[in-house]
Amino acid sequence: MEDNEADVFLIQEAIEAKKLPMTLHVVRDGEQAMRYFDEADGDVSMPCPALVILDINLPKKQGSEVLKHMRRSRRCANALVIAVSTSDSARDREQMTELGVNGYFRKPSEYAAFMKLGEVVKALLAGGTSENRE
Amino acid sequence: MMSGGAKALNAFVAGGDLKDSVFRELVEALPVAIYTTDAEGRLTYFNAAAVKLSGRVPELGTDKWCVTWKIFLPDGTPLPHDQCPMAIALKGAEVPTGIECIAERPDGSRFWFTPCPAVVRNAEGRIIGGINLLMDITDRKHAELEASEQFRAIVETTPECVKIVAPDGTLLFMNSPGLAMVGASAEDAVIGRNVYDIIALEDRKRFRDFNEKICKGEKGSLQFDIVGFKGARRHMETHAAPLRHLDGTTVHLAISHDITERKRGESAAFLLGAIVDSSDDAIISKNLDGVITSWNKSAERLFGYTADEAIGQTVAALLVPDDRQEEEPDILAKLRKGERVDHFETVRRRKDGSLIDISLTISPVKDNQGRIFGASKVARDITQRKKSEKRLIEQARLLDLSSDAILVRDGQDRILDWNRAAEKMYGFTREEALGKISHELLRTGFPEPLPGIREILLRDGHWSGELIHACRAGSRISTLSRWVAERDKNGDVIRILESNNDITERVRVQEELRRANQDLEQFAFSATHDLQEPLRSVKIYSELLATRHGDTVDEEARKFITFVHSGATRMEMLVRDLLAYTQVARFDAPSETADANEALNGSLANLAGAISECMAKISADPLPSLPVHRMHLQQVFQNLIGNAIKYRSPDRQLLVHVGVERQDGHWLFAVSDNGIGIAPEYKEKIFGLFKRLHTSDEYSGTGIGLAICQRIVDRYHGRIWVESEPGHGSIFRFKLPA
Repeated sequence: MEDNEADVFLIQEAIEAKKLPMTLHVVRDGEQAMRYFDEADGDVSMPCPALVILDINLPKKQGSEVLKHMRRSRRCANALVIAVSTSDSARDREQMTELGVNGYFRKPSEYAAFMKLGEVVKALLAGGTSENRE
Repeated sequence: MMSGGAKALNAFVAGGDLKDSVFRELVEALPVAIYTTDAEGRLTYFNAAAVKLSGRVPELGTDKWCVTWKIFLPDGTPLPHDQCPMAIALKGAEVPTGIECIAERPDGSRFWFTPCPAVVRNAEGRIIGGINLLMDITDRKHAELEASEQFRAIVETTPECVKIVAPDGTLLFMNSPGLAMVGASAEDAVIGRNVYDIIALEDRKRFRDFNEKICKGEKGSLQFDIVGFKGARRHMETHAAPLRHLDGTTVHLAISHDITERKRGESAAFLLGAIVDSSDDAIISKNLDGVITSWNKSAERLFGYTADEAIGQTVAALLVPDDRQEEEPDILAKLRKGERVDHFETVRRRKDGSLIDISLTISPVKDNQGRIFGASKVARDITQRKKSEKRLIEQARLLDLSSDAILVRDGQDRILDWNRAAEKMYGFTREEALGKISHELLRTGFPEPLPGIREILLRDGHWSGELIHACRAGSRISTLSRWVAERDKNGDVIRILESNNDITERVRVQEELRRANQDLEQFAFSATHDLQEPLRSVKIYSELLATRHGDTVDEEARKFITFVHSGATRMEMLVRDLLAYTQVARFDAPSETADANEALNGSLANLAGAISECMAKISADPLPSLPVHRMHLQQVFQNLIGNAIKYRSPDRQLLVHVGVERQDGHWLFAVSDNGIGIAPEYKEKIFGLFKRLHTSDEYSGTGIGLAICQRIVDRYHGRIWVESEPGHGSIFRFKLPA
């Protein structure tokens, strides 16, 4: 869930670089995101995300609201979440941790550094599947 | 044995005929009434004196027992003739001598007499007749009665107690005033009882000795207390004399006076005298002509005249200055009308001619009939008070010159003075404010509870702080208030001078400024924060453009792409530092102390890359813990050491040392290096925002680092400065609270 096209491009490159077997679905603002969860709750044919990359600063609805809404949804409540943000403010980080995100990634301003997001996603999915297995 | 006279008398009586007797003429001539009777009491003879005394001519042979017409006992009861002394004697009974009787003449007049009956017996001893002699005692009796009536009248009309006491203490007589004094309801309640029983216990022995002494024939006086039958204690003074009774015994006759009131009066008068003399005020009495009649010790002190000099003089002549002579007649006129003069403040003259300020209170004095006969006058020296009043007035004038509202209050916060500026500032006039409790009048809002402020005032003698006051119109104003306490010799606060400066406008402006600053900081934070995101894109995509498409563009395009990238990089640094700068103010007061060693290590970790790159050697003293935010301290170290690295000398290895010492309740830190140093003219400038001494080509940097240091140190009311020798190195020093 990311409104910035430039960052969507970088996130896609980071994930593709790791060759992870997954489909990326992008929503551009908070309202869209919340609507997606609502629709998925009523329509079992819609896929539930295994992992959400959530930009904290989304238009219309804040990332934190989207996260709370998702945790209350019937089908998607247990998805893994990585919060991403340009900010490294301790307050943002604390708030997201309290809301139960599984990872926090500060968007860096060097390409190579940005690509490390792929590793974070990969590690989380590996850990998440292992948790699910148990 | 019968004498010759008696024989003749016997014969005379027995013969029944005295005509020829040698006694006849003699008896007839006697001025004493004489008569004789036969054995049955029938009159046989009477002489002329008997006729004269009884007022009638008795009938011989018919009248019996006595020549008199009617007889009475001394108490007035009629005595029948057959029971008269002569009758009793003729019955052979003994008749006591000295009996007194009253007889009535047919004309109603009465006389006193003493009978002397005797019987005449024959040779066998049988009573054959009687003879009686009536002695007229009327004159003596009247004299006696008169004397006794006089005595009784005297005794009963005197207000004193008159009593007669037997040697053993038995009360023989007491008059009615005496009975009243001892609280007896009737005579029988006391007469015959022992008088010692009503003498107060402590005086009983003295009284007994006194009584015995009087009964032995001495005279004397005594004071003693009695406790009467109703329990009332009275103080008595007695004058006693011995009184010889007919039977030869001597008793104690006393006249006693109740001096209870006098005693009480004496002690009250004594007490009053002592009070008057010990008073600090001059107390004088005078009559209605203004002539001084008494003069106490303080009057002597105050006016300089002794009592002897003053008494008898008029107040007007002695004390009143010439220009105030009209006062005394006014005062006297008021007194005559029974009016009082209260706290009249005036001037009087002393013996040495000097004038004194006094306050007079003059009251009319009445006798026990309520008639005004003089005046008491209390004069108090108010010279000192007048002086201090004058001083206060002068001070008040000074206070009026002040543009601060000044109020003087006493220890209980009652307003004693209120200057013109206070009238203007609060809208209450001086008259309205005086006597009021200042904090109630102004509904003062305190920055901390009043008891705490008082404590500081008592400890330091002064206090200052910001107060909120309500004006008369209801508006609230902020004042900068300064209090100074004046204490007495016990250290108690007696007066507080409070000076208030209206800072409402200043407070409002400050508040506005504070809010504007807050808004600005919020804006700066948001702005810099939001700037970061697009910058990041510019930077990353210029990087991607160079790496992925650098080959497909020409040399000039590649150069432009580099400019874009370095511009974005530089802007990113600026934004980051600006963010740090604005965030300094965003922290609350630290809740715990920070370990400076940890802060230093944190900064060294962040600078690790740069440090190892230039192979700098960093050393430090053991550092203290201090009440600041650890992040702030770390930022200061990081910026200073970062600067040392940036401005190191290319000729030598960089040495940085962090030292600290304790100074005046602060920690004084020093970060010294052996770098290129700073020219003296830039020592101040370098701490300004965006101040850089070098171009970004020479030394990269935003010029915000030292401004942040300055801001952090300012936040803790500390100080930061630099000492430097250009070419040899710099020492950055900063002071933080311990």
